[in-house]
Amino acid sequence: MGGSGPEAGVVVRLENIGKRYGSGAEVLHDVTLTLDPGGFYFLTGVSGAGKTTLLKLIYLGERPSRGIVTLFDTDTATADRATQTALRRRIGIVFQDFRLIEHLSVRDNVALPLRIAGAPEREIRENVPELLGWLGLGDKADLRPNTLSGGEQQRVAIARAIVRRPDLLLADEPTGNVDDEIAMLLVRVFERINRLGTTVMIATHDVAFARQFEHERFHLEQGVVTPVTDGYPQ
Amino acid sequence: MSAPRLGAPRLDLPLGRDASGRFLPWIIALMVYLAGLGGIALLLLGGMLGEWDRALAGSLTVQVPADTSAARLEVITALLRQTPGVVEARLLDGAATAKLVEPWLGPSVAVERLPLPRLFDVRIDPSAAVDLAGLRRKLASVAPEAQLDDHRLALLRLRGFAVELQRLIVAGMGVVAGLLVLTVVFTARTGLAVHQPVIELLHLLGAPDRYIARQFQRHALWLGLRGGLIGAAAAAVTVIVLGRAGSGLDLPLPVAAGGAFDWRRWGLLVLAAAAAGLVAMVTARLTILRRLARML
Repeated sequence: MGGSGPEAGVVVRLENIGKRYGSGAEVLHDVTLTLDPGGFYFLTGVSGAGKTTLLKLIYLGERPSRGIVTLFDTDTATADRATQTALRRRIGIVFQDFRLIEHLSVRDNVALPLRIAGAPEREIRENVPELLGWLGLGDKADLRPNTLSGGEQQRVAIARAIVRRPDLLLADEPTGNVDDEIAMLLVRVFERINRLGTTVMIATHDVAFARQFEHERFHLEQGVVTPVTDGYPQ
Repeated sequence: MSAPRLGAPRLDLPLGRDASGRFLPWIIALMVYLAGLGGIALLLLGGMLGEWDRALAGSLTVQVPADTSAARLEVITALLRQTPGVVEARLLDGAATAKLVEPWLGPSVAVERLPLPRLFDVRIDPSAAVDLAGLRRKLASVAPEAQLDDHRLALLRLRGFAVELQRLIVAGMGVVAGLLVLTVVFTARTGLAVHQPVIELLHLLGAPDRYIARQFQRHALWLGLRGGLIGAAAAAVTVIVLGRAGSGLDLPLPVAAGGAFDWRRWGLLVLAAAAAGLVAMVTARLTILRRLARML
């Protein structure tokens, strides 16, 4: 699980990041932000504001057009392929569209990061059912993702993201497809993971929802990220 | 995870559902079938060449007219046996001579009524240099119609043909191997394109290129071995059927030679099947690794 745990430096540092796709307009302009070890952050912004692009830059799913992305004190621009793979293993991602592998069972989907990391099958047999039980999916382990409801698929995606107890957890609209009660429960799950030392960033279009929690927030609008300080301690 | 096909490897990528899983084993089977038969033909030709080489070095035939008297035949026998380098000289009887022409005339022809020449089978020491010119002169002095045949011309022509045939078969096997590599490269690239989203996901979950390549190579090994075994089995059946047909007709066909229990033939077919799997696996691995290195 987990790997080496957060180190003393910063988890993520974006410096003057600009991103454009092809020859189109920039979707992110001069983005500068820092995520500290053990922090819990919301990234808010309307749909299409560029939240997913920003998360992609952090989890190395895209390269910036300009600027510097530093992950766990490593400049990703100069990191070789093996280093980038090692950095990705320290990050858990909950994709907006879940991205579960349809021909694998729930159990095997969740076990995937462990298998990729070469974890022994014994460890997988012990940890995966426990985690599924914790997320209320204990009786769904043998099912295929396409037989589950949207909310259940979302929890499978969360289980896969946290099974290795990552140093950084990025969740893209994890509360977008569930009602308020479930959304609140999911955030509580992320908070429990955060208390174990994982830095968490949740991207959501629902500013009002994010305001309910006493966590740091960044707001993304017209490609520009600004920290939000509207009454809650930062 | 879905139940994989019997013996199929367990994979994160749904490669088993690809169309390639259906057609690639049959293409590989055809290639192994052709390569296996080619390999067996090479074995047989190699054996024949060896026999011909030994024949070139170790035998002569002396032919005299059918009406040659018994006394003269004895003189010729004595002359041959006295020649330095001759190990044995034997006059073939009528039955032995008839047996030699039977494949061409058939068993129903009464060959004893034909004016077949009398033949001497002469074995010579392969390490000795027999004076053929001198022997011809001596034979001419006792039997002017006698013909000395050292088989050299005919065997050299046959030998040349067999060597050309060997080269052709080797070239054909090379083409088959090249086609196998190209087919696997094409299949692997197609698989890479089809499963791009899952491959990207595996990368984002921290999978190194070799982890993803391993999925493709295990799948290719499985398909290659399946196809290889089908092709090898088909080639074995062909060899057995041809062998039986050849021995039934009692023809001097190469395929009938050596016997069905020549372990080298079956070993070669097993080797061809294993090689198909191995080539498919290595090709898939190298293709995928090269392609993945260009991805993010």
